[in-house]
Amino acid sequence: MEYILHLAILVGIYLILAQSCNLTIGLGRLFNLAHVASYALGGYVTALASTELEMGFERCLISSALVAGLFATLLGGIALRLAGDYFAIGTLAFASIVSSLLINWKSVTKGVLGIPGIPRPEIAGVALYDNVQFGCLLGVIVIASLVILYCVFSSPFGRVLRGQAEDQLAMMALGRDVRLINTLGFLIASVFAGVAGSMFAYYINYIDPSSFSFSEMVFLVTIVVVGSPGSFWGCIAATFFLVLLPEPMRFIELPSSILGPMRQMIHSLVLLAVVWLNRAKLFPIQREV
Amino acid sequence: MLQVSDLHLRIGEASILNGVSFSAEAGDSIGIIGPNGSGKTTLFNCLSGFAFPVKGSVYLSGHDITHTPPYARAELGVGRVFQSFGIFREMTVMENLVVALESRAGILKTFFPWSMTSRMIRAKAKEFAAQVKLDGRLAERAGTLSGGQMRLLEIVRALAFGAEVFLLDEPTAGVSPKMKDEVAALINHVQKLGKTTLIIEHDINFVQSFSKRVLVLDQGRVILDDSPENVRKNELLREIYFGK
Repeated sequence: MEYILHLAILVGIYLILAQSCNLTIGLGRLFNLAHVASYALGGYVTALASTELEMGFERCLISSALVAGLFATLLGGIALRLAGDYFAIGTLAFASIVSSLLINWKSVTKGVLGIPGIPRPEIAGVALYDNVQFGCLLGVIVIASLVILYCVFSSPFGRVLRGQAEDQLAMMALGRDVRLINTLGFLIASVFAGVAGSMFAYYINYIDPSSFSFSEMVFLVTIVVVGSPGSFWGCIAATFFLVLLPEPMRFIELPSSILGPMRQMIHSLVLLAVVWLNRAKLFPIQREV
Repeated sequence: MLQVSDLHLRIGEASILNGVSFSAEAGDSIGIIGPNGSGKTTLFNCLSGFAFPVKGSVYLSGHDITHTPPYARAELGVGRVFQSFGIFREMTVMENLVVALESRAGILKTFFPWSMTSRMIRAKAKEFAAQVKLDGRLAERAGTLSGGQMRLLEIVRALAFGAEVFLLDEPTAGVSPKMKDEVAALINHVQKLGKTTLIIEHDINFVQSFSKRVLVLDQGRVILDDSPENVRKNELLREIYFGK
């Protein structure tokens, strides 16, 4: 039962993280490789605020979302001036800066040793040490996040984001400031990545930079691509499928040194297969005037 | 309404526009012709904000829009119809029109699909689709339409957006002869609504059927600005197309 609950919590965290990633990479076709950096910032803000500043759950959660949102605004303001492949490289550079800070700013982040002792959230004076209680809290946050994201996906804003992905020139000719729309898309996605990071830190009670590596970004891209970029329900199905896919391997008697890399290999092979099969239609190419 | 003065534009070492000047009053219909590379599409890019001149100015209804970005020009009433079909192929026909109508209504008013504004927008979108006989295909992806239907959708979408100045870049490119008549009928309709239309075309006969005035561009300059009849008779036109 504890194991199933653990998987449910992981799926819940990834539902928020992947769906927010789907907003930029999937719906907006903006290859933001710094999404995992927003997730990391969310996690570290909660870790530091709850351990060093002894801030409560609500304030930690909001601070994580705000810091991640601020990061996205900065990222959007600079990287969105770059187009296409250059944009992806620009976001990769941002992700690398955040990763370096987490490893090397030891006085704050404690480097590769990470931050231990993150307390469980406390709601109305009750600490949610029990995973069932924590799962219920997470469930509420996941449902609220998905409802908000669904509204964004199906709103005029979502339509503009989808339209500019296909033809930015035509969208500008219809009076839409594409850069502003994309920055807003970034902001919303990053805020939810921050929320996911915060909940991750609260659940694991300990974070270090290895939880936010580039392979985590590859995993998010795999979910978005497998679920069909921009598809809200596809992303949900893909999150369940890919988070749970490697789990049966736990029951095979293999050393952990093999099991760990195999999880990443399975995800990468799934990504490769889906990209290969859908190579003609996954990502549209922008035309020129 | 539209005042273009001494536009110069360079791309690298090449001078694309070399002092283009003309003006258009509200409701004017102007044809723009010229050989390939004469600067016709670049001129449209300067008018719609997708390119910025190094010298010269563009005024629209008294506003200096020379360095205004494309989305802000669109809000002022500049509508662009692209040579290479600027429709959203992955969206439905309905969504293509809704995007244009929502653009004027504001995001907050249209955020919820069940709001009064959203329902009114959908009803209006159906009316615009009916104008080009696409009301039976509202739920289909725009990418499944024929070239002519895509062009009709793009023009009617600019109309739905509320453009006052239509920049039509080769509206019959990639359109079958049968559909060409329907595109022509829609452009006539746009003109009857009092909109200003600037049409780039290679076919002088097609231009003549719409335009009271024709500008002939060659090497980034306006070399003729006259009635279609006079332009047809002018020897210069023959020279730039067929040589001396």
